[in-house]
Amino acid sequence: MSGSGSADERKVSSLRELSPAIEPPRDLWPQIEARINAQRRSAPAAQPRPARALPPRWLAAAALVASVAVGVWIGRSLLPAARSGSDVESARSASRASFAGAPTALDVAYVSDPRYQRDRAALMKSLQARLAALPPAARAKVMASLAALQRAKEDLESALGKDPGNALLQELLVNTYQDEMRVLTDVQASDAGRGI
Amino acid sequence: MTQAQAEDTRVDWEAALVQRACTGDTRAFERLYREHAGRVYGLCLRMTRDTHLAEDCTQETFINAWRALPRFETRSSLSTWLHRIAVNVSLATRRKASPVAPSLDDEAGTGGACEWTLETPVEVREIEAAIGALPEGARDALVLHALYGYSHGEAAQMLGVAEGTCKAQLHRARRLLRERLNVEVG
Amino acid sequence: MGFSRLAAAMTVLFASAAASASGDKTFERQVPAEAHGVVDISNVSGTVVVSGWDRPQVSVRAELGEGVERVDVSTDHGRTTVKVVLPHSGHGGEADLHVQVPKDSELTVSAVSADVTTAGVTGVQRLNTVSGDITAELAGSDLELKSVSGNVKLKGHGQPARLHVSTVSGDVHLEHGAGDLEAGTVSGTLVVSLDSARSVRARSTSGDVHFEGNLARGADFDATSVSGDLNVRASAESGYAYEVSTFSGEISNCFDATPSEHGHLPGHTLQGTRGDGAGHLRLKTMSGDVQLCDRK
Repeated sequence: MSGSGSADERKVSSLRELSPAIEPPRDLWPQIEARINAQRRSAPAAQPRPARALPPRWLAAAALVASVAVGVWIGRSLLPAARSGSDVESARSASRASFAGAPTALDVAYVSDPRYQRDRAALMKSLQARLAALPPAARAKVMASLAALQRAKEDLESALGKDPGNALLQELLVNTYQDEMRVLTDVQASDAGRGI
Repeated sequence: MTQAQAEDTRVDWEAALVQRACTGDTRAFERLYREHAGRVYGLCLRMTRDTHLAEDCTQETFINAWRALPRFETRSSLSTWLHRIAVNVSLATRRKASPVAPSLDDEAGTGGACEWTLETPVEVREIEAAIGALPEGARDALVLHALYGYSHGEAAQMLGVAEGTCKAQLHRARRLLRERLNVEVG
Repeated sequence: MGFSRLAAAMTVLFASAAASASGDKTFERQVPAEAHGVVDISNVSGTVVVSGWDRPQVSVRAELGEGVERVDVSTDHGRTTVKVVLPHSGHGGEADLHVQVPKDSELTVSAVSADVTTAGVTGVQRLNTVSGDITAELAGSDLELKSVSGNVKLKGHGQPARLHVSTVSGDVHLEHGAGDLEAGTVSGTLVVSLDSARSVRARSTSGDVHFEGNLARGADFDATSVSGDLNVRASAESGYAYEVSTFSGEISNCFDATPSEHGHLPGHTLQGTRGDGAGHLRLKTMSGDVQLCDRK
């Protein structure tokens, strides 16, 4: 069983002195959270909980995390080498933003869930108009952040290619997909023109 | 603040988190997970004797807890409630892994009151190994009673056995530990 | 409540004069307000300064720039709404609002490029901007704050509260906070100082995270970044167990502890315990560097 070396060498005079708690060797919360969100997405009527008082965009973003997480772990078994070039290309073109200067590879190749792709595509469609309505300095900052997210996704996916079972990288990748959706929904919600 | 006051404060805080989690707040549920994960994993690991299975059981426990949280009564102990779920999940996992249930020997002796003290101090590593080597029924009863502090009745209920059977298993555990560790267990 | 019922409810509307064709104008109104009521303020551009006071009134003073149509101030069943109204067509203008509210009010401020400042408000605060900066005083009540690119400065007095701060590219500076903090940014920098932390969850993609503070007994501290650096200086009376993981970043610490490698796989981990180990501290990055030290 696991336990730090120094703790295991300590002597006790009673079984009651043994610590009941043993910390798991890795953080299990990301997978627990992903499964909870997957359940909430697939069976919302079964949850006997009152609705949260959150703006609808956050509920939508939270529901999407489940599909992202599922897609990532499906993606583990669909490493780049195993996929055909045409599959990758069609996934890329389906998600590509079509405006100059924007990150072009907000790539959802690993996320095959149709509902996620549909919701993300809708956000991407309005992204250009929303960005254009922002003050120039703000627009530049947001686009820099989107580019940072894209770089993060690429780096994480590349690293996962070398070490697919790495729980740390998986957790960071799910975080990054979540953060991208957060940015897209935040920009979607901003209305630079006519007041709030 | 006295210990009783600190305990009351902790329970109030926990009850507030449970209430928030019931509204769908996964951040609040994560706080509960962080608070209880160690004890749940420790229970799963000692029952399954396998780190991968213990991880699966721990995850399953918290996912089942999330589903059942609206039915949890906050005046009860969340810790005990989680352990009940963890025991059920661990037993089911073991049954799946080895469908043939080990035979339940009837031990002489009732395993009466025992403080589980050791005649001479023993290294934790050695004790844990000895507990791990116990037959499943004896190990389960010992872990719940001696490590987690549940009464015979509570442990029996969690394990789905009669209280007398649980006491017999504890008696067996005590005998086997004495043989293995070569110290008197009183 | 449906719109028709809302319209039929006791609504008292105090409207300003219509916008003049040119030039700045001032606006002033005072309305009665409940001590623990709700105040909603919205302004697209300019500034919003909110201060708490002891009177059961909301007082609005505003300098309205060219292009601002009017300021609407209304009150209904304990909710006071202050809204800068711009014309539907044409370019919007700027308005500088100074609003005094009962200090225990639940305050919501929504702005686009307006900078927001709050002081002396002891009720719950919800502050949202797109590009406006936010400066707020914390006073023991919950705070939810969101900005896309605005920078955030928060100053507390060590009273525990639940703080939720989120930016896309704005920097966040928090000093003398306490309680539960959830802070997230993509490329902004998080600089956080907590007098007493019960739980901290900090997340960034490329921005750096700097934390200094005291962890309460049993505290839970979690910071992750993809490529940003994590710099943590923590103290804890009851100690904490720490776990630091990075895929390709460097781990440094002040405890003379040596990170372990993962065999032939990339990555480093550092685990250990400070003091009694009552709290938990987890730091994770992909390529960002991590430094963990005691708070002096």
